[in-house]
Amino acid sequence: MFHLNASPRRRSLIVGFFALIFLAGQPQAKGQDTSPGIDFFSGINFSFADMNFYRQYDVLLHLTPGFKWNMGHHWQLTGQAMIPIVNTFGDEYKYTQIGAFNISKEMRINKLYLKATVGVFDMYRYGADLKTFVTLSDNLAFEAQAGYVGVLYLDPSPHIYKPDRFVWTVGGDIYLPRWNTQFRGTVGRYLFRDFGWEAEAMRHFNHTTVSLYGRWSGVYGLDGGFRIVIMLPPYHRKHRAVNFRLASNYRMSYTIMYKNYANCMYHTDPEQNERDGWFSRDLLHWGSHTMEPDFIITNKSEQQ
Amino acid sequence: MKHLINRLIAIVALSLFPLVGQAQQYTGTSGLAHIPTGEMNHEGDALIGAHFLNKAMMPDTGFLYLGEKYHTFDYYLALTPFSWMEMSYVCTERRRAINEQTGQIQWSKDRYVSIKIQPLKEGKYYPAVAIGCNDVLTTVFFKDRPDVQLYYMNVYVAATKTFTFSGNELGMTVAYRRFLRGYNAKWNGIVGGITFRPSFFPQWRLMAEYTGNEFLLGTDVLLWQHLRLQASLKDFKYANVGLCLQFNLLGKKYRY
Repeated sequence: MFHLNASPRRRSLIVGFFALIFLAGQPQAKGQDTSPGIDFFSGINFSFADMNFYRQYDVLLHLTPGFKWNMGHHWQLTGQAMIPIVNTFGDEYKYTQIGAFNISKEMRINKLYLKATVGVFDMYRYGADLKTFVTLSDNLAFEAQAGYVGVLYLDPSPHIYKPDRFVWTVGGDIYLPRWNTQFRGTVGRYLFRDFGWEAEAMRHFNHTTVSLYGRWSGVYGLDGGFRIVIMLPPYHRKHRAVNFRLASNYRMSYTIMYKNYANCMYHTDPEQNERDGWFSRDLLHWGSHTMEPDFIITNKSEQQ
Repeated sequence: MKHLINRLIAIVALSLFPLVGQAQQYTGTSGLAHIPTGEMNHEGDALIGAHFLNKAMMPDTGFLYLGEKYHTFDYYLALTPFSWMEMSYVCTERRRAINEQTGQIQWSKDRYVSIKIQPLKEGKYYPAVAIGCNDVLTTVFFKDRPDVQLYYMNVYVAATKTFTFSGNELGMTVAYRRFLRGYNAKWNGIVGGITFRPSFFPQWRLMAEYTGNEFLLGTDVLLWQHLRLQASLKDFKYANVGLCLQFNLLGKKYRY
């Protein structure tokens, strides 16, 4: 017997966390659309927690409208709001907040992939972030992330604190294409100044990824759980200069123990998930990106 | 006489109500109504379901309201990531009285993770063999702590052999099961069951099983390739029913 806990995004480690996020269209044979255009999307962020003996679950439901402006050459401006709709978690969670508002650039130098992001992230953070990925073979890769961030609240009144926190993770990935299985391990220093590690085993299916993970934090101890990422239909989409769309993926994260502040890290992309990783599919052809793309995108002009 | 009529009605109703296909237990993993089998679900199968649990199916401790056992239900997520491995996550609803005078209810859930592994697939002359464990994580981390409750914790090894004649399928299962805590000791030991799948409707399965303490009759079916239903009668009088949605994440389609 163990405990299910869920908490909203603000509390970094989510216990029973469902998220609907929405992805853009992709060019044909690609999983993501990085051709110039702007996408408006909306989803919901659903958190539930079994922390109350007097009702089945506490529920927190956010509407998460946002946009992504692909400016070409892998430059992207993105923004997202977190608007609470249903909240039985308490007054602390009744305020509208920014999920993301940042600009990013992806690039490739031989086998080195870089993504730099500046702006506002989730987890009430802002600052600068750099992600790197190095592919050594079709099966083996290294990854690292580093960020320098501060705290930012908008509602009920704006609060901005100077960046004071350097966070980082470094680790490796092993991908076994025969079984579409991926292992990921990282160590790092996290948002709440705890050192720790995380190991995850992912099984990629058609449009779905399921993973088991374990982690340890020097402050909060051992924990584990599972994650599910489901890429949502429609899988065939048309690309226009301006696109309005619904969810592309549904992400659920479950943790055994109620350790909200352990191994926390912000997300720079409102649609970030474990299946797609950090980089665009047309840039990085590794791991789940070598599988059939989730989304087949046709350009309107091509169709005509 | 009244009990006899009730039993006859229940058995006739079960016969008319087609339920589980490949498998569905209240634990989300493959098996009969209460015992595991050596068979596995198909690779990529994902199940989300719920099961009504008669109080006669509940452990003798831990699920008491005002000192008495009660009917409850569980719900689960289950996945077969590989053809040789199944996993499920199960929540069983619990209630207890905060105030014994007013009977005010306190809700909680008993949660556990089940894992089942099949080291030997069925061959022409030998059965499929599977080993498994309910409540794995708690067992690993807390087995030496008697204050931690393990209501559903058990380990088992099961063997199943199927025989086909005229398109009909007859399955025979023998298993050894052991619960770690004493409150379910009545279900320890050798258990087994027989299944029958008719050729004219192979999605439908009839089953009879011995749980180590009582007999169960059950039936299940897979409808429209996605909806599984199951019903069983313990000792011919205590009904349990369940349903689940099933999807194959690899996009494959199976008859059952």
